Amino acid sequence: MLAALNRRFGYDERSAALLVFPVVAVLLVVAAFPILYSFWVSLHDIVLTRPLRRPFVGFDNYLRVFDDERFWVAVARTTVYTVVTVAVTTLLAVLVALLLNENFPGNRLLQALLLVPWATPSVVNGLMWKWIYDPTYGLLNAVLLKLGLIERYRVWLGDPDLTLLLIANAAIWKQMPLAALLIIVTMKAIPDDLYRAAKVDGAGVVQRFVHVTSPALRPGLMLVLVYETMISIRHFDLFLIMTQGGPGDASFTLSWLIYVETFRSLRFGTGAAMSYILATTTFVLSWAVIRFLGKRL
Amino acid sequence: MQATPRRPIAPRVLRGALLFCFSALFVLYVAGPVAWLVSSSLQSEAQITAVPPNWLPPLASLANFEAIFTAADRQVTYENRRQGDAATGGFLPSGAANLLPSLWNSLTVGIWVAVLNLLLSVTAAYAIAVIDFRGRRATLYTVLATRVVPDIALVVPLFLVIRNLGLINSLGALVVTYLAITVPFTIFILISYFEGIPRDLYRAARIDGCGHWGALRHVYLPLSLPALVAALTFAFLTSWNEFVFALVLTQNVQAQTLPIVISGFIMDFTTSFSFVNAAGVIAIIPPVLMAVVFQRYIVSGLTAGAVKG
Repeated sequence: MLAALNRRFGYDERSAALLVFPVVAVLLVVAAFPILYSFWVSLHDIVLTRPLRRPFVGFDNYLRVFDDERFWVAVARTTVYTVVTVAVTTLLAVLVALLLNENFPGNRLLQALLLVPWATPSVVNGLMWKWIYDPTYGLLNAVLLKLGLIERYRVWLGDPDLTLLLIANAAIWKQMPLAALLIIVTMKAIPDDLYRAAKVDGAGVVQRFVHVTSPALRPGLMLVLVYETMISIRHFDLFLIMTQGGPGDASFTLSWLIYVETFRSLRFGTGAAMSYILATTTFVLSWAVIRFLGKRL
Repeated sequence: MQATPRRPIAPRVLRGALLFCFSALFVLYVAGPVAWLVSSSLQSEAQITAVPPNWLPPLASLANFEAIFTAADRQVTYENRRQGDAATGGFLPSGAANLLPSLWNSLTVGIWVAVLNLLLSVTAAYAIAVIDFRGRRATLYTVLATRVVPDIALVVPLFLVIRNLGLINSLGALVVTYLAITVPFTIFILISYFEGIPRDLYRAARIDGCGHWGALRHVYLPLSLPALVAALTFAFLTSWNEFVFALVLTQNVQAQTLPIVISGFIMDFTTSFSFVNAAGVIAIIPPVLMAVVFQRYIVSGLTAGAVKG
């Protein structure tokens, strides 16, 4: 029996199976099973305040979600938040990469500094910005007043028009470094010959950026766009700490809605359905970015 | 190597000035918020509530940090309960004594996750990158696909799984959960690194009589030190920073990690900001130190996959 197995699967395949097994085992328990289980939950009407009756309802939960006005508000908020976060993060990251890609004294120090936001825990990040935005004692009011940009102190996080952008600002601060690092590495991989050739052809700084740097940045930018989108669309920590969805529903994003639906209303079925909608959207978006932008950029 | 001709002086001065301006802006943006956090953690409650604010602590004091480290020794009794009055600044939140234990919890979980993550990922990444076996692509895609589902969606089913295993409110549950987050990304990094190692080295090792285990130990591991250090750091930081799972899977100081305890302070409106800021500074120090010390490895390790696209 063993001999037959050995003949069917060679040394390579047996080793591979052995080497991969531990990871597969762990991921089955803590990733695959919960993912499938949550799909099962999304097909049942499970409300924790009524624990014994959990009828199978097919895709009713999904239909209920699509009928829910809060869902569409959350979709709009999430879209604005994600687009702003990803766009500004990428833009800033390119600028920072251009700066750090230059050779000048202190360059390494700046690069070390770049890792500080990346290493800051998101809870502390939220705390830090909440304190900066503080309506009475915060830094933002003091600085803007001193610069003469505002006339009196404002309640920053209480302004529904600004809340999402202010939270996005905190997220951008933390996310920009990794994006910048990825872009720097891509820049460093551009052969110097290209720049020399462009110089010989009489191209200035701007032309060199447009014709040499930016096309070569494509793979790095792709990675940044996909990764940042996947991360931003599901942000949760900052919302819990800074605004809890408020003021009103100004920062009511999908992740926050899922949290409220599941842990405050205890409607696990619809919560799971929303999670699946969010996961599918993330997946399709990443795929689309790779597919379409990847060819054009 | 040919020397670049010296450029005329005016453009060089301009370039220097531009670089300096942008560097200054960069430092202000990246370090400013943290500097303000540190500055206000060194001030008393009365000082941080001054308007306009004190940019630098007028009298730098470690009182907030001292309060955190001695919170466990303090006993609140009926007689002394009024000493800690919010207005006079000595007020400590009721959970202050939980900070130190949660710091240890965070460290313990972080170290376990870093080590186990590496052990699990190295073998799997080697198999996927080097061995040509049936189901290789499927394995890779399945591993990566587990990260598409948002954490908030995994929390409920994972809570039920962990509860059925009887592991709620234990550090072990956190370790296993965090592995699910770190392993796919680590495997991704290591695969790109392993694929960059010349195939000839692998063949030579096999000809010399090494099995896969030998090739991994004698060829791949020694050559991928940067990626291994990056993976260790990344796993530790992810575990140290994680919030959603810890929020749901832990219930008290026996297993709560630092972010959970700190977020509790933030929600508590009576807690003084100077105290919370000090807690925040404590939570920032280990990850930032680690990131700066291992800077070189992190940059080359985390970005190994980026160049290929």
